[in-house]
Amino acid sequence: MAKVALEQLNKRYGAVPAVIDVDLAVADNEFVVLVGPSGCGKSTTLRMVAGLEEITSGTIRIGGRVVNGLAPKDRDIAMVFQNYALYQHMTIYDNLAFGLRNRRVPEDTIRREVARAAEILGIGDLLARKPRQLSGGQQQRVALGRCIVRHPQVFLFDEPLSNLDAKLRAQMRIELKRLRERVATTSIYVTHDQVEAMTLGDRVVVMRDGRIQQQASPLEIYSRPANRFVAGFIGAPAMNFVDVTLARKDGRLAAEAEGLRIRVPDEQAAVLERQPAQALALGVRPEHVLIGDPHPENGTGFDAAIEVTEQLGAELLVGVRVAGTIVIASRIDPWAKLALHQKLRLSLDPRGLHFFDRESGEALR
Amino acid sequence: MTAPAIVAQGAPTRIVGVLAPGGRAVLIVLAALAIVLLFLGPILILVVTSLRPGWAVYYIYRGTAFTLQNYLDVFARPAVVRAFVNSFVLATLATVLSLGITVTSGYMLSRFDGPIPRAWFGTIYLFRTVPYISWVLPLYLVDYYFGLYDTFAGILLPHIAVHICFFSWIMKGFFDGIDPSMEHAAMIDGCTRWGAFRRVALPAAIPAIAALAILSWLYTWNEFLFALILTGHDTALITVTMAQFVTELGTAWNLMSAMAVLAMVPAVLVTLFAQKYVIRGLRI
Amino acid sequence: MAAREMLARLGEKERFALLLIAPAATVLVLFQIVPIVIGANASFRDWQLYNPKETWIGLAHYRYILSDPVFLTVVLPNTFLLMFASVAISLVLGMALAHLLNWNFRGHTLVQTVILLPQMIAPVIAATSMRWTFNDQFGVVAAFLRLVGYGQISWLAERWPSFLIVLFTDVWIWAPWFALILLAALKSLPREPFEAAQIDAAGRWRTFTHVTLPMLRPVIGVCVLIRSIDAFRTFDQVWVLTGGGPARTTEVFSIYAYIETFVNLDFGRGSAAAIVGAVIILIVAWTMYRAVDRLANVSR
Repeated sequence: MAKVALEQLNKRYGAVPAVIDVDLAVADNEFVVLVGPSGCGKSTTLRMVAGLEEITSGTIRIGGRVVNGLAPKDRDIAMVFQNYALYQHMTIYDNLAFGLRNRRVPEDTIRREVARAAEILGIGDLLARKPRQLSGGQQQRVALGRCIVRHPQVFLFDEPLSNLDAKLRAQMRIELKRLRERVATTSIYVTHDQVEAMTLGDRVVVMRDGRIQQQASPLEIYSRPANRFVAGFIGAPAMNFVDVTLARKDGRLAAEAEGLRIRVPDEQAAVLERQPAQALALGVRPEHVLIGDPHPENGTGFDAAIEVTEQLGAELLVGVRVAGTIVIASRIDPWAKLALHQKLRLSLDPRGLHFFDRESGEALR
Repeated sequence: MTAPAIVAQGAPTRIVGVLAPGGRAVLIVLAALAIVLLFLGPILILVVTSLRPGWAVYYIYRGTAFTLQNYLDVFARPAVVRAFVNSFVLATLATVLSLGITVTSGYMLSRFDGPIPRAWFGTIYLFRTVPYISWVLPLYLVDYYFGLYDTFAGILLPHIAVHICFFSWIMKGFFDGIDPSMEHAAMIDGCTRWGAFRRVALPAAIPAIAALAILSWLYTWNEFLFALILTGHDTALITVTMAQFVTELGTAWNLMSAMAVLAMVPAVLVTLFAQKYVIRGLRI
Repeated sequence: MAAREMLARLGEKERFALLLIAPAATVLVLFQIVPIVIGANASFRDWQLYNPKETWIGLAHYRYILSDPVFLTVVLPNTFLLMFASVAISLVLGMALAHLLNWNFRGHTLVQTVILLPQMIAPVIAATSMRWTFNDQFGVVAAFLRLVGYGQISWLAERWPSFLIVLFTDVWIWAPWFALILLAALKSLPREPFEAAQIDAAGRWRTFTHVTLPMLRPVIGVCVLIRSIDAFRTFDQVWVLTGGGPARTTEVFSIYAYIETFVNLDFGRGSAAAIVGAVIILIVAWTMYRAVDRLANVSR
């Protein structure tokens, strides 16, 4: 039985829909990440689970029981906010104890729980200080501590790392993973950062304009995106898209654009033949754009001129002009001698070709 | 945005919307009613009194005799009309002039640093706390010696002086909230310092200054202490002239309240039509 | 000569700054600072308005005032009592009003408009309307008391009932000021601490004391400071309501100074009284400013 179940969840502000027909089942101890651009409805969904937003229609179940209409304090949840939301004038100890004290938990139990949380999070020597004396990372750990002491059924995270600088964010990501090992709890995590989504989630739920676009494991989302939006949103540098039309040549299916003719691999050709539209978009990730054509028999080679290079130190990114757009190739030897306007022979890895319907954006698999 | 959930003891509670069922809504309505009664009451009583003829003023809530005669009587007195005109002119001039000289003062405090601005700020802060009585008493003599007693200048200039400290401080706050980089850009583009002030900073502060202007005008219109001490027959102002209705024979409440209601008109107009500005201006 | 040198050495920036404050500084000096200096000077001299001898008498006036039983046992306590009571009650009432208005119930703009009125009308008019409302024979309050069979209260005939009316009027005028400022502050508070408190099962009162109040402390501090300094100088309401009576029992400091100057016609002593008051409020303001500053820093 799912720990958290969202059934046909909808939220409207007046006539404006914010969350549309969301169905999501979170298993016990599963860490689910809701990711998407600003305004996609991920935070609203999370806040409905928390009880901070009213539900327009649909049901939310936590631990099997319907929580629609229950106050946040009665849902057995804990939440970490983007702005930490610590109580500024209380000591860290009191911050952690506040929720327990309000629930009339005896003081010695509180002491035990706070000590345990402090030990797990490494904030034991900060207990007597006030929040403004702590760094951002420390404050966020206290916010996590506030959740742990209560042993709730569900942890909710609302973009908790967005206020931290990049380096600290990377550190906290690792800490969060370590925390999960010690305190495994069903979690729903909201972020706009796809790196956080991929590294933290057992399952990633991509949202856009209020709807779920795809929910799957990180690798599945990466390697088999359900539509063009998911494909372009997940992965950095982003997937390249080229508008192509299908044509037959020598009895084989090819994807064509100006200056480009790519042979469609057999498994995909079978799918593409069956569907009616001829106007498609070809998606290929930068790591699947190769310099040179080591396997000409694949029929995926093409020529192009270099328009831009970006030196990253660990790799070189090269952008070439193909059919009116720039296609980025990554993982190139940083020492390679490549100059602007140099003409190159490139090829695409046939295992990395994705085809999308140009109108609907759906992936054709 | 939803309202926060009601929290009760014991059993799980429901999230409630803006208008709660039952108890809470009734409580809010009662509270709102009590507040309106408390703050509107005395004013309404004054208005009703002004509409009662002289003999019906006692026990204003009994009987149904209402009349506008009080207002006509009040207007028939030249002293009253003169007082209204004087107050109007004074309020307008004092507002325009004091805003004019304090806007540059506030700008200076906001944009400049160093010993001079700090000295000026200290002076302003210090003299803001001085009780009015401490300087209006000697001002009475100063006015007399310069022949300014009971002249327009003799009441106008002190009114401007009163505002200098407070307004400079508030204007500083306005300009603190305006990004100085626009003025820097203007000066790089060839503006003089004065030009940058006049064409970049000042226009941005106009809405806030408008709010302050309304409050300043009302303050001068409502002012009493300076009027009492520094004016006489020639420059009578309304706040002091109202006291004329208190005689040895008793107070002519019907006439006094009529004049009071007339004096309240600007305040009521502002409350009804310029509320947004005023609220913004009241905030320190 | 030295001044001219100094001026010449000032840069263009400094000269511009001086020009900006020149008109304001001139008016301030002529019509505030000079009179205060004259007043201070007069406070050390025998200076009756009908016989301005202006002979130096040192601290005689001050000695008189500081040993005047009326000043010490009536005027000063009255002034401080009015100050503390008015500010405290206005703050509490204003806080309650602000919370009520923050709920955005369906008539809240009307209520907001109504409470703006006491701030916009002249204090003398407010006092006049209160005086009429509480008129012990014909006032509305008297009628109400008769209705409930309580009998007559001669509000303005005795010290403490009069003081109560003065206090009531002051709170009537200033609680809305607190309310509007606190309302704006409430609206500007971040919502996350409140949501965290909801999740932490904090009741409404606990949320108020542990979340709202600490965040409002800086605003409250500044409001209390400003309003206290103002309350000390109250004149208009007291003058219209009681004139300092009955028998000088509701006299406050500004009225004391006024009476000395224009009733007893002793300009020297009146100025001394005014200076004494100014010094007192300066000390009080300074102490309060330090306290407020500490409060604001703690909550930051």
